[in-house]
Amino acid sequence: MVQTWRRRAILGGSLALPVLARAQGAAPAWPSQPIRLVVPFAPGGTTDLVARLVATPLQEKLGQPIIVENRPGAGATVGSLLVAQAPPDGHTLVLSNIASHAISPTLYGNIRYDPLRDFSHIALLTLNPSVFVANPRTGIANLADLARLHRQRGLDMASSGSGSSNHLLIVKMGGLLGREINHIPFRGAGPAMTAVIGGQVPLMSDSLPSAAAHIRQGSVTAVAMSSAERHPSFPNVPTFREQGYDVVASSWFGLSGPANLPRPIVDRLAREVGTILDSDSTRMRFAEIGGSPGRFSPEEYAAFVASEVALWGPLVRETGARPD
Amino acid sequence: MELLISNLLHGFGVAISFQNLSFALLGALIGTAIGVLPGIGPVATISLLLPITFGLPATTAIIMLAGIYYGAQYGGSTTAILLNLPGEVSSVVTTLEGYKMARNGRAGAALATAALGSFFAGTVATILVAASGPMLTQVALSFGPADYFSLMLLGLIIACVLAQGSIVKAVGMVVLGVALGLVGTDVQTGQQRFTFGIPELSDGIGFVPIAMGMFGIAEIILNLERPESRSVLSTKVGQLWLTKEEFKRATPSVLRGTVVGSFLGILPGGGASLAAFGSYMMERKVSRGKHLFGQGAIEGVAGPEAANNAAAQTSFIPLLTLGIPSNAVMALMVGALIIQGIQPGPRMVEAQPDLFWGLIASMWLGNLMLLVINLPMIGMWVKLLQVPYRFLYPSILVFCCIGVYSLNNNVFDVYMTVLFTVFGYVCNKLKMEPAPLLIGFVLGPMMEEHLRRAMLLSRGDWSVFIQRPISATMLGIAAFALILMALPTIRKGKEKAMAE
Repeated sequence: MVQTWRRRAILGGSLALPVLARAQGAAPAWPSQPIRLVVPFAPGGTTDLVARLVATPLQEKLGQPIIVENRPGAGATVGSLLVAQAPPDGHTLVLSNIASHAISPTLYGNIRYDPLRDFSHIALLTLNPSVFVANPRTGIANLADLARLHRQRGLDMASSGSGSSNHLLIVKMGGLLGREINHIPFRGAGPAMTAVIGGQVPLMSDSLPSAAAHIRQGSVTAVAMSSAERHPSFPNVPTFREQGYDVVASSWFGLSGPANLPRPIVDRLAREVGTILDSDSTRMRFAEIGGSPGRFSPEEYAAFVASEVALWGPLVRETGARPD
Repeated sequence: MELLISNLLHGFGVAISFQNLSFALLGALIGTAIGVLPGIGPVATISLLLPITFGLPATTAIIMLAGIYYGAQYGGSTTAILLNLPGEVSSVVTTLEGYKMARNGRAGAALATAALGSFFAGTVATILVAASGPMLTQVALSFGPADYFSLMLLGLIIACVLAQGSIVKAVGMVVLGVALGLVGTDVQTGQQRFTFGIPELSDGIGFVPIAMGMFGIAEIILNLERPESRSVLSTKVGQLWLTKEEFKRATPSVLRGTVVGSFLGILPGGGASLAAFGSYMMERKVSRGKHLFGQGAIEGVAGPEAANNAAAQTSFIPLLTLGIPSNAVMALMVGALIIQGIQPGPRMVEAQPDLFWGLIASMWLGNLMLLVINLPMIGMWVKLLQVPYRFLYPSILVFCCIGVYSLNNNVFDVYMTVLFTVFGYVCNKLKMEPAPLLIGFVLGPMMEEHLRRAMLLSRGDWSVFIQRPISATMLGIAAFALILMALPTIRKGKEKAMAE
């Protein structure tokens, strides 16, 4: 463990050499060693992308390399548990997100951490709405079309996986329509989108980052966006609310550490992350993946996580999905 | 046609710039290195190198990442042939005949076949991507869940029909493989199956721990047991290059492998891993050297190697034309492109012609570079076999452990590898082949997923499997293969009856 940690540190360190050199003069008490940022998902996904987008500028500001470590598994709970149990010295952080901190704690009964008590929540990084998309050949352009067709013959809708926030939105929509939508889960958003474009499944509930390109290209039609207001990058896509369905939901990504993280460290991190989120380059990159940067104080973020646990928990129970 | 040539020329113009060429070379070198190190796959490497690409122009970045991807494919077959260590699904098949060839002193020939076959297949597949990418995408899109299920069922049945030795044992291993593949979270319901409350098992058992344990490390233990076989390996390195006879035998296999691989690579999800299996099965049935299979048949290296490289190229088609990644490496490339502000998809050809045609041209250049890097190195790789085992084996074990650990940065995977090493050793003693188990392990869960998805979409109506033409054809071939398998048994039974 220690051995490999060092190996990774060397690899990561070599990427951040100029940064190290610059920081030598200051020698602050924290961070005194490379910071480990645990991403509880596999490389390549949105979570991983967000982590790397923020880690690169953050390590320059902190003067220590940040090593992004992917610890996927069990609905993002394997990596999160690791951080919950790490010493609260500010050298181990986690990219907290809707799966690890709002859905999985209810979905998996045997989780050994509490999403609120076992973490110091630092900052919300970005919020992404979900979007219902349809194969253009189905002729479904808005929720009224969707509701009508669903009443007539019952619709199928794909999602990136069982227990994902996108799946839960399908359940919620089915509840609002008074008839269950036939959920077709896939292993990730890519295969699900392929099936929708290929016409195997007419509809899909997807996160905006993975759907954005396909909507822009017109290979799928955006039916409704789950944000409270219209998304600035997609001003033509109406929200659920506008169309008379009270659905407002976003998947989100934030920065958290183990519980009892010293207040100065939390404040420093929140401040640096704030500057990064305010910078034009970060705004631009988040906009490209369809998200908007979040701007919460540590207290606001913690309260937000608590409200999300309360929001998603009942929906998870409704689906009956209960691994183990 | 003229348009295609002018586009390709444009692409070569982009790819041949000094910067792009050197990054293609860098990617190919890194890829070869990580391919040779067991267990450290392209996914881990690309994700580690992703931040570096932020500072590069998009075309250069993607050319380098693509170089890593092909390089890893080449490097992976090197360890598969020399040490029986498959690092990826596709190189499992290469171990079957390639490692036997190495034991017969034909390691050089096997490596040369792999390199040349891959290069040829890569060239053909690159032209295919350039000429008919968008059209082929339509073929891939017409595959529904029922069609995938039938395709994979066909794969499993052929795996049993063509297994070496006892059919009963092969069927047993396939079924065991399927069962192991079912461990983890059920895609449809989110329920955990056979995980015994161990969180690390909730995403299933990894492919690498099984492949590495059952093939590579179990083989090391077996080698330690038989001192005589060690001397065979270290003394008889043999002629490095292919003999005329070997060349003649390998050529048709490469051609067939290229066709199989180019087609299967287009199918998103699992297509590419089927390519090498598919080609191997085909060679066992139709090649001239089919009676030599199991003893180191060059056809069994040439076909699958060509197939997996062709598939590696054509798997770019869904990414470039639809913006849909067909595997984890492609998903990382999408990430890299998005960070660069480029949305992969149908419009990329018009919006980013430099990137699109530059990438296609650099695919071919990357393959050429790999050939240039790898051919002269064959002699050096083969010398690796002469390293005394007391040095070679401990180093392999160390690299395996590092590789397995780095999959999820979790020691649990190392324990799994130990477990499967012991299991692989026992299987070998019982004369049970690990290859059918791996085929079952890879195809089983995908088959289940597609079956249940097809049933969900048809609302429980089984007739979809016969109504869809693609699915019906696959099932027809599968039934035919089953009859073929049954026939000799029936005939033998008859002969027995006649004798009595």
